[in-house]
Amino acid sequence: MSNPPVPHDNAPFTLPSETAERIAAYGDRAAPAMPVAGTPVLEARDVSKYFGRVIALEDVSLTVRPGEVNCLLGDNGAGKSTLIKILSGVYTPDKGTLLMDGQELTLQSPRDALDRGVATVYQDLAVLPLMSISRNFFVGSEPTKGWGPFRRFDVGEAGRIATEQMLEIGIRVRDPSQLVGTLSGGERQTLAIARAEYFGARVLILDEPTSALGVKEAAIVLRHVIRARAKGLGVIFITHNVQHALPVGDRFTILAHGRLAGEFVRGQVNQDELLRLMGGGEELTELAHELDQLMSADARTVEEAATHAEAVPTSPDEPLAAVEAEEVLPPEG
Amino acid sequence: MSAETGALPPSRLRAESPLRRIASRPEFGALIGAIAVFLVFGILGFSSSANLGFQGGFLSLGGAAGYLELAAQVGILGATVTLLMIAGEFDLSVGAMIGASGMILALLLGTYGLPAIVAVPATFAFALAIGALNGWLVIRTGLPSFIVTLGTQLILRGGTIAVTRALTAQTIVTLPASAKDDPLLKLFSANLLTIGTARFNIELLWWLGVVFVASWVLLRTRFGNWIFAVGGSAQAARYVGVPVPRVKIMLFMATAASAALFACITVPQVGSANVLNGTGFEFQAIITAVVGGTLLTGGYGSVIGSALGALILGMTNLGIFYAGINTDWYQVVLGLLLLMAVLVNSYVLRRASGAR
Amino acid sequence: MNIKKGVVALAGLALIAGACTSSASSSPSGSGASADRSGILIEVVTHGQASDPFWSIFKNGVDQAGKDMGVKVEYSAPQTFDMNAMGQLIDAAVNKKPAGLVVSIPDATALGPHIQAAVQAGIPVISANSGSNVYAKLGVLTHVGQDEGIAGQKAGSLMKAAGVTNALCINQEVGNAGLDARCAGFATGLGGKSTVLQVDLNDQAGAQQKITAALQADTTINGVMALGPTGASPAIKAIAGLNLAGKIHLGTFDLSKDVLDAIAAGNLDFAIDQQQYLQGYLPIVFLTYYKLYGLMPGGGQPVLTGPGIVDKTNVATVQANTGTTR
Repeated sequence: MSNPPVPHDNAPFTLPSETAERIAAYGDRAAPAMPVAGTPVLEARDVSKYFGRVIALEDVSLTVRPGEVNCLLGDNGAGKSTLIKILSGVYTPDKGTLLMDGQELTLQSPRDALDRGVATVYQDLAVLPLMSISRNFFVGSEPTKGWGPFRRFDVGEAGRIATEQMLEIGIRVRDPSQLVGTLSGGERQTLAIARAEYFGARVLILDEPTSALGVKEAAIVLRHVIRARAKGLGVIFITHNVQHALPVGDRFTILAHGRLAGEFVRGQVNQDELLRLMGGGEELTELAHELDQLMSADARTVEEAATHAEAVPTSPDEPLAAVEAEEVLPPEG
Repeated sequence: MSAETGALPPSRLRAESPLRRIASRPEFGALIGAIAVFLVFGILGFSSSANLGFQGGFLSLGGAAGYLELAAQVGILGATVTLLMIAGEFDLSVGAMIGASGMILALLLGTYGLPAIVAVPATFAFALAIGALNGWLVIRTGLPSFIVTLGTQLILRGGTIAVTRALTAQTIVTLPASAKDDPLLKLFSANLLTIGTARFNIELLWWLGVVFVASWVLLRTRFGNWIFAVGGSAQAARYVGVPVPRVKIMLFMATAASAALFACITVPQVGSANVLNGTGFEFQAIITAVVGGTLLTGGYGSVIGSALGALILGMTNLGIFYAGINTDWYQVVLGLLLLMAVLVNSYVLRRASGAR
Repeated sequence: MNIKKGVVALAGLALIAGACTSSASSSPSGSGASADRSGILIEVVTHGQASDPFWSIFKNGVDQAGKDMGVKVEYSAPQTFDMNAMGQLIDAAVNKKPAGLVVSIPDATALGPHIQAAVQAGIPVISANSGSNVYAKLGVLTHVGQDEGIAGQKAGSLMKAAGVTNALCINQEVGNAGLDARCAGFATGLGGKSTVLQVDLNDQAGAQQKITAALQADTTINGVMALGPTGASPAIKAIAGLNLAGKIHLGTFDLSKDVLDAIAAGNLDFAIDQQQYLQGYLPIVFLTYYKLYGLMPGGGQPVLTGPGIVDKTNVATVQANTGTTR
């Protein structure tokens, strides 16, 4: 499978053909041209959160409907983490309300949110490396057999289900009691997603799932985001990587400095605009210019070195000497 | 979906031989350590035991009764302290709790003449309350449990000395003569079996019971899974809905209760409670946990391993004695042996899990 | 990592081997030691750690007696003042089937059963240092030591003769019945007012502060009685710190360099010396001759090694032998 082309100009990012075909196979639900109608399964309305004098969030709203992916974008420090912690029950908002299926609700704790079907997968805290796959899969919701003081954690059942679910997401687990640390980063993220789905989540909140992953692994995770959407879950996908967000998002919510910077539906916005709204656009363009200058300066220096090297009497090692000369010269400019 | 599962990438894990699987368990290193310690002291004490026809010395029933008793006492503490360490916390107040609960037992029985049926539950109630307090303080303040329990240790120890002297003007409180025959107290301190000079007491059964229950809770219950999760990352555990405060408070209550059990076992045997009882046992309990394969950082460990660690500690304590080693060197030898036991344990674990 | 572990393991084994050989008693060098004495093993279990200067001298007595008698002696003590551990050590000592056992009895209730088990196993037991009022009913053959009550009274009467009416009695080892008896005897001998002050022998600086505070709180105190060197040293410093040296009568039990220097300088009136070297030495002698010929002095009564009084008149001799026998 070919790697995605590296964009070096302003051309829009395109998926490799195989993946694009598979997404197309999902039909309209995978890439709707219009926003999906219906009551949002989870909504934050005009939510504000303060930490002492720091304004973490001010009047932020976000909605997610079943079968829809809402990409929550924003640079570091924009308030994305705070917003999802409110949605997952870790924090309570200082102002504003949360609604589920149109009904107002207060979430007392992460357990409360989980019980209502809001599952969150955090970037670093998705799994516990020193525990086995089956224990990780069921942590917090362990299956039991027996009752009273003899109620015990059904290790056998947990292992069986975990292996089954992992197989469904494409990871063959030889032994469910193997430590989760033996899985790669992408596999761990997908375990967490599979876990959330298995426990009947209606809303899946993914906190920067691809930020620490390589290209191939990021593609695996994105594939599962789409799968979750196809199953009818509402997905909130937080990232600061626009290139990952664009192919999968139905809706884009942008936060900047704790406030709502924009809300778009797929097709209404392109990469440049998103970057600009996120607050990183100008800096990136400047950086691109600087890098261009550096690269052309380097190219000139290399040419000069090559002409100098040619003036030296030839020897069998000449090609080597030329290469060495190039590497040794420091870049100027 | 079928297109995806058609060609699975091969599993990233090589097949493991059953021997290697056993060797990767945290208990295995402790088992090797225990066998090694037994061999070392068996060899050192061989001639003196042989001269006595194996009726005396390290390699005798009397010798075994001795180190098993030591192992049982520290092992009861070690089992619950291990659970707490797997959850990522320390309890430095267990030693002081041994002294305090022992003194409460003796004061209620001796100075106030209450029956054991009142004194024993009261002692446990006290311990559970202080344990809950420890847990609550750790949760509430967010401070490292190392510091919090160091504070409660001083308060408990100081309180024991102060209150005892205020009530009795003494530092040792004796049990009444009737305590020797009290059935409830006998439950903790009765003699099971005596062969010659070798006395095997009921504390061995208590040790086995505590280890069994603690290990079962850890490996076979939901709560045990929560213990691992909280130790791995309290925050991550909280985010998946594990009741972290409840887990920690209950574990602190367990360590305090095991200290009270230790006191109920030793005070009737000795016939009195001393304000200094239990000094240093908090570290011995931690040693049994570490020697048994529990990580100091939490999230991984074994109660069976800590039981083996207790056995190693018991054999080492008496083995040094039977080997005729000059007691001036006692602490040096003990420290070296413990270092070696921990090194052996970590070496075996790493070789077995194929990490290096 | 393998090499490091190997080095540690070798170092450990070397130390163990070294410690083993250093403890085995040297073969009898003097004349008159018959060949069958080296098979005699005498176990000594006390509550005193060798890090304590007092017990170091006791142990010197034990070791020297072993050499002089040509017998094997082994000394052990629990790491902290822990009667449970001491009982276990006595059981283990009995399990070595020695020819004789020497024990100190700081807590008769705790250690009684273990000592009785030793007696019932047919092992002759002598008590030393503490237990002067309990040894007989446990089946112990004799007690070599100082009667704490008698010694305390002697100290009290010495202070009374010096004109003390209000004294502090500094107890540095909470839980030791013998020390409690000393303070009690002292109060009786003094006749006046006597208050017990608890300090921790492991915390010299803290002890000094506590004594200073107590002296400042009650300025009518004109006598301070320490019960050991670890109580005497901070007392000397506290009194000097308040510039009361020579104005407050200071006495102590047992000796140390600080104590002897203070006596020589006139800052300490007297020290009650229980001559613990003899407490370590004599029981070995008695048990050896008991094993060989059935001889046992005392007639059931204690063999007293004190109170010896060390004051300005004899301090020089004592200083010459400090740390080894005195």
